[in-house]
Amino acid sequence: MPSSSLATTRLLIKPQTALKSSFLRFMLMFLCNMVKCKHRCPTFLQKAPIHVSSVGLCFFFLPMILVSGAGSSPCVRVLKCLIPASVVPQQAVVRAVVWLNVSKIPISTQVLFIKWVLTVFDLIDAKDQLRAIYGFIFSFITEENLCPYICHLLYLLTRKENVHLYRVRKLLELQSKLGRQPFLMHLLSLYKVFCPELVTLSIPSRIRSGFKNYISPWKSALVAVQKSNGQQVSSSISAAFTIKEKSISRKRKHCHLDLPALSSVLNKEPQSEQTSRRKMVPLVHLSSFAQMLKDMHRIELPAQMGSLLGSSLALQYLDCVQEESALLRLNFWLGCALHEGNLSHFVFQEGFSSSDAFLYKFLNVWDGSLLRPQILGLLSNIPVIPSTRGFFFYSAFRCFSVDFPALCLLLHRSWEPVCDCQLSLCCRNITLSGFKDSVMELVHFVGRLASLGLQLEGCNTLLLSFILDFYETVCDTFLKFGLPLVVMPPPGVFYPALLATDPVSVDRLAYIMHRWVVFLTPGKQRSKKTLHSLFVSRHTFRQFNHYLVFMVNCLWNCRMFHANTDMHVREELLHKSNVPQYWTRFDFIHHPAFTGYAVDFHQKCWPGKKDVDVNSIKSKPWSWYLEYLFNQGFDGLKDFVHSSISRQVTAGDKLQDSQQR
Amino acid sequence: MDPLSESGMRTPHNGAVVQRRSKTRSYRQSYRSCLGTASRLGVTPALTARRLNASRRAAKPQNLADKVNPEHLALLVKAEWQLSYVTPLYQFRHTQLRSYSRQLAAFIVAEKQQGLAVEVSELHNSYRVSLSVVQGLTESEDDAETVLIQIHSKPMFARQDEPQRSVWSGWLTCVHGSPEYLRSLPKDFTCLPLFGSRGPEYLSRVVKSWFQKTFDCCFGSLEINHTSLQWFAALWTDCHSQSHIQHLRMLWTIPAAPPLQITYTVDPQDAWDLWNSVRKEATAAVTEDAASIDLEEVTGFLQALKSHFYRHFRLDLSAGTLQQVSTALGSAKSSGRIKMSNSRHVIATLTLLTECALLRMPI
Repeated sequence: MPSSSLATTRLLIKPQTALKSSFLRFMLMFLCNMVKCKHRCPTFLQKAPIHVSSVGLCFFFLPMILVSGAGSSPCVRVLKCLIPASVVPQQAVVRAVVWLNVSKIPISTQVLFIKWVLTVFDLIDAKDQLRAIYGFIFSFITEENLCPYICHLLYLLTRKENVHLYRVRKLLELQSKLGRQPFLMHLLSLYKVFCPELVTLSIPSRIRSGFKNYISPWKSALVAVQKSNGQQVSSSISAAFTIKEKSISRKRKHCHLDLPALSSVLNKEPQSEQTSRRKMVPLVHLSSFAQMLKDMHRIELPAQMGSLLGSSLALQYLDCVQEESALLRLNFWLGCALHEGNLSHFVFQEGFSSSDAFLYKFLNVWDGSLLRPQILGLLSNIPVIPSTRGFFFYSAFRCFSVDFPALCLLLHRSWEPVCDCQLSLCCRNITLSGFKDSVMELVHFVGRLASLGLQLEGCNTLLLSFILDFYETVCDTFLKFGLPLVVMPPPGVFYPALLATDPVSVDRLAYIMHRWVVFLTPGKQRSKKTLHSLFVSRHTFRQFNHYLVFMVNCLWNCRMFHANTDMHVREELLHKSNVPQYWTRFDFIHHPAFTGYAVDFHQKCWPGKKDVDVNSIKSKPWSWYLEYLFNQGFDGLKDFVHSSISRQVTAGDKLQDSQQR
Repeated sequence: MDPLSESGMRTPHNGAVVQRRSKTRSYRQSYRSCLGTASRLGVTPALTARRLNASRRAAKPQNLADKVNPEHLALLVKAEWQLSYVTPLYQFRHTQLRSYSRQLAAFIVAEKQQGLAVEVSELHNSYRVSLSVVQGLTESEDDAETVLIQIHSKPMFARQDEPQRSVWSGWLTCVHGSPEYLRSLPKDFTCLPLFGSRGPEYLSRVVKSWFQKTFDCCFGSLEINHTSLQWFAALWTDCHSQSHIQHLRMLWTIPAAPPLQITYTVDPQDAWDLWNSVRKEATAAVTEDAASIDLEEVTGFLQALKSHFYRHFRLDLSAGTLQQVSTALGSAKSSGRIKMSNSRHVIATLTLLTECALLRMPI
């Protein structure tokens, strides 16, 4: 533990407070002495909270600050930095409250002090002395500036014996002066709970819960400091078991998931007492997994199934038991909550079959647009099951940028369970080929979607990036997951990517093609997995060859409009376009994506030259140009060129080579 | 005391139905089944039935006076009801209505004390709740019997002998609900998808809350959509020959600046003639049961009305939204308020509304 240093304490003292500074210095030295002598060292950080570890320190410190303060800003700053380590003795607070009235402390400091008390309220060891001076604290309520905070403090301290008619009258008087302020209403409502006969006015049931939260930054600093010292942060709301407590909750608007409270069944069959010999244990009373296992056969489900969503223990039980009525009730609740828009975020837990089942059912009635990101995100977490064909048609065609990443994830996750344990397949009665077929269908469907999308969106770069991302994942399937899936991007994706105006798309496409070259060329595979079990159709190979040839011709050989390609453009049209040497227009120099780099390179090579002729790169500096281009971060292009194009052999040979494959 | 609630009330879970249910239980798979996941995700029949019917039988006026308790009937027709849809109730027993009444009364009092059911202007002391069955509204076996809820109370400073007045009423009903859907529900569930309420909002909230807590159901507001409003217009006009509708009034809002509200009132005889001409065109093509009305006829009818309006005012009502349809037989508002003014057409109205409510079932 770092020892305190007097040097840091100097920061707290400002020169103008010469008169009081001596007292302050005395206080701080006192503090340091206490620390050095027998107590744990607080950590003195520059301008950071003074960590008061000793009980006694608080006891002395607090009233002295208030007394000596009288408006000095060091006092205020000290108060702000006073973070108790473990407990705050209530005597200190009581004495400080006493001093509050006695000395001429400015209002702002008083406010600050009350705020401090509210912040550390949970750490005050006992409250009985504070309650004893309830009336005294109550007298501060007439002070307008202090009123909200005093009300809050009283709210925390009030007991039934504190509620008296004259206090109620005082509050009502204040209300007539200040209006129906929320802090007054809250205190009055608390009084009403204790003594409804004394408070006759009606409190609207819709007042917002809680006092205004002005201490939260302070509170978070407190928590942070305590945590950093390994202290257990005690809070008035214990989180032993993750069931939502039933508090005096006000009605909430549709802001977030409003789970019903977990409660026992109210609607019991009258004859169930006779039929059930065993005593049923309501799920409410369970608090641990061990207990659940012990009473597994006697557990009684709650009245409202929606309340289970807050508790993972309960969901596990449900998953295990698989009771149809219970699951149906839960599904009804979920569906209703979704439709009413009360779920701003899903609270599904992964791996629960009940949530999977609900999702499948919900997909059947989903209109494709409600909570699309969340639903698609959820879909990516569940295993793909064949015969969910119906789902494909429900997804809307519009918002691709959300769909594609999710579909990509879906593909990603769809074979993970397959690879992990083959046994699970047998249980589910899915064969590997059936599974592969459905995944193939998915990829083909995505291809169609992608082609259409690119047409609709005018080959939008962002969309293309997502689509290429998807196809990269497809490439990975065999190498990473063992699922033999060989699917080429459709022409509607390939050509827009190759002829795109941004270099990243071309680079990614090149990467994809490189991966396929490596995968399909025997001898070039680095992984142990062989292609023995793989059957790739001729059509796929032909398509792959076409793509490869076209790409090489386009980028390297300057033979873009070669006869054998898919692109058939008539010569007359090409002549009509008046583009000189049209067959070279998409090679590494002239391609719209790379022409900027070519010009740049040209200028670097021949800095003096005024007119730029990129064709001059074609000769000697060609390899340097390529190196320059690849160094711009286009690893895909680099790999592609290295794997598909070998410079020792002439381009023509390579073409023959690729055709023979 | 309502004697009907004490008799062996038939909820549609009796033995005769159980057999049928087990056959169609495959629709809602038990998740424990090892048949494989494909069956687990079997398409529920509710899916395919989840559209508003494209055709329905023409409303036959039914004299309910001999089937339904006249007091209940009078209650149903005199007021305007706010509609909601309800998911199926779990373990609801028609035989336990008296116990439910006591529980609900206690619940209201408890909520009041907590300060959650407070209305500043009203000062009520004690509540008496009565839940009763309205027999005779449903005809099919699958429908559960309608339940009527009434809350009576006396103002705080009333005299001792003053009777308690009804401060709130509501009902839960299912009239000609889709049999497939109803049969696909497990045994413990009672489907009463339509909920109507009239009275102070805080009491509606308390009643809904009690139902949610006791039967694990969910309430949601039921808006009457455009198609349903059109159906109401057509169905009510169709009844003109039996019960004089006095007028066909529609309320449209046009999104102009400032927004325009148009009340379009059609003379009943004109409406009737127009409706007949539309039906004649439609039925000329297909010789079918004249008693059933198709959606095309309904849309044709509305289209004719709109084009008539356009001819005179050069304003196309398709640009706006239909908010309300009212005749002497009742009025329907898109916000989910319904008034059934004529007891002879209550069943037809409730049938359509039940269908709307079932469409809103989340799964």
